[in-house]
Amino acid sequence: MVVDYAKVSVAEIMTRDVVTVTEDTTIDDILELFGRYHYHSYPVVTDAGELVGIISEDIVLEILLFKQIPASRQTHLSVVRSLGDDARGIMMPYPVTVSPDASLSETADLMLKHHVYRVSVVDCEKLVGILSKRDIVNEICKRRD
Amino acid sequence: MHTLLLLLLILFLAKVFGDVVERAGFPSILGEIAAGVSLGLFLIRPDNDALIFLSELGAIFLLFTAGYKEINLQELKVASKVAIVPTICDVVVAYSFGFLLGRAFGFGFMESLFIGVAFSPTSIGVSVRSLIDLDYLSKKVGSTMLASAILDDLIGIFMLSVVVSVAADHQMPSGMHLLAIAARILCFIAVMIILGRKVFPALFEYVHRMHVKESIFAFVIMTALFSAYLAEAFGLHAVIGAFIGGATLSSVPIAKIQEVQSKVDGISYGVFVPIFFAFTGLSINPGSIAGAGTLSFLVVVMALSGKLIGGFIGSKIIGFDSHDSLIFGVGVMPRAGVELVVISIGRSMGVIGDQVFSAIVLMVAVSVIVTPVFLKFAIRFKERSEMVRG
Repeated sequence: MVVDYAKVSVAEIMTRDVVTVTEDTTIDDILELFGRYHYHSYPVVTDAGELVGIISEDIVLEILLFKQIPASRQTHLSVVRSLGDDARGIMMPYPVTVSPDASLSETADLMLKHHVYRVSVVDCEKLVGILSKRDIVNEICKRRD
Repeated sequence: MHTLLLLLLILFLAKVFGDVVERAGFPSILGEIAAGVSLGLFLIRPDNDALIFLSELGAIFLLFTAGYKEINLQELKVASKVAIVPTICDVVVAYSFGFLLGRAFGFGFMESLFIGVAFSPTSIGVSVRSLIDLDYLSKKVGSTMLASAILDDLIGIFMLSVVVSVAADHQMPSGMHLLAIAARILCFIAVMIILGRKVFPALFEYVHRMHVKESIFAFVIMTALFSAYLAEAFGLHAVIGAFIGGATLSSVPIAKIQEVQSKVDGISYGVFVPIFFAFTGLSINPGSIAGAGTLSFLVVVMALSGKLIGGFIGSKIIGFDSHDSLIFGVGVMPRAGVELVVISIGRSMGVIGDQVFSAIVLMVAVSVIVTPVFLKFAIRFKERSEMVRG
C-alpha cells in the first residue's frame, strides 16, 4: 500500500515526551543532561511551557572548547555565550518550529532542503513535541513493513 | 587591467595576507587592507567601476551580516543596563576629540563631523582575544566591554545616519533640518520593525516551501538589498538600511537556519567584505600620509586617547576602580569595520579628502596592533598593584 505522507501529520509521529530545560537551568545541569541522554539538543522553555530557545551539541561544544577555537571563528555572540552561566545565556533563540498539523512530507522537505536535523513542534507557542529525521525514517520504515 | 584579473588578484592577496596576519594573532582585516595597499604600489588605481560597485556591496554586506548574525534583542536589553554609561562617555569623548581635531586643522564642518563619527565606534575583537588569553573575559570589566561593543556600534550607525543625511543636503543643519532627519530615521526603523514582525515571518514561511533551489538564502540576500534600497529611498545611506534589515531578520527562525547563515557568511566574508577592505587599502594614498605627518600622528593619538579617557571616566562613574577603568578604556580603543565604512562613505560623498581618509585607515591599523600590548600592560599593572597591596 502506498502511503500518502502529505496526509500524515507531525502530531502523529513526533516525540511527545521531551526532555526540556528551563531558562534558569545551570550549565552544569545541562552538561549532565548531555551525559545522561543521547539527544542532540534540548529545548528551553519558560515555566509556562513556552518554547524560547534551543541548546544544541554545537553550542555546548563551542562553549567547552571556546579557547581552542581559532580567533577568526569567535563571533561576538559566541564570546557572549561563552560567558553564560545558565540556559538563558547560552541558548540559541528563535528555533525552527512547525505546528502539530504540518504534514510529514512538508516537514521532511524542510529538513532535507536546509539540513535541519530536528524541529520543535509548537502549538500556541507551547512546546508539544520534537520531530527528528530519525523519527521520520522510523515511521516510514514502520509503515513499509 | 582586465576587471576579472583585478578581482582575482584582490581576492587572492586579501585571503593570503589575511591568513598571514590572522596567524600572527591580529584580525585579518589588517592583511586585507595591506593587500589593497600592495596593489596600489603596483600602480593599480581604485577607479574600476566594477570594483567600486563590489566594494560598496562589501560595505552593505559587512553591516547586514553584523545585524543578521550578531544582534540579539535579549542581549541588547542586558547590555544597555550594564554598559550604557561607559559607552556614552567613550563615544562622546572620542567624537569630541575627532571633531575638534578636524576644526583645529582647519577642515570644514562636514569633514570634522565625519572625523568625529569615525572616531566613535569600537571593534573589540582584538581586545577579546587578549582578554581570553589573560583569562580576564569573565571578569566584570570583560563582560561590560562586550556589552559596550554592541551599543557602540549601534550608536555609531545612528550617528552615521545623521551625518550622511546632513552631508547629503549640503547645508549647515538647522533645528528643523535635524528634526526632519530624526523623523526620517524613525520612520524607516518603524517600517522595518513592521516588516520584521508581520511581513518577513509570513514571507519566509512561504519561501521555505518554494520549489526553486536556495530559496531561503536568495530571499535573505534580497532582504539585504531591499532594506539597503529602502534606506536610500528614505534619504539614509544603504549600509544603515542593510544593518537594520539584518537585525529585523535576526528573529525570523526560518531565515536564521544554520545552513543559511553559513552561506550568508560565505558570500560576505568570502567575497564582498575582503574586497571592501582591500579597496580601502587600495584607496590609500601613501604620499598623503607622508605629506601630513602631524595630522596622521594626531589622528592616531586623539582617536586612541579619546576612547581611553572616555572609557576610563565612564567606568569610574559606574563604580569600577581605577585599574579596571583603565582596562576598560584600553579595551575599547580598537577600531575596524564600521569606522572604515564611515570614512568610505565620507570619501565617496566628496566630504573627506585623501589626507583624512589615509590617516584614519592608519589609525585603524595602529589601534588593532597596539591595543593588545596596552591591554596586557594594564592587566599586569593591576595584578602587580594587587600583589603589592596583598
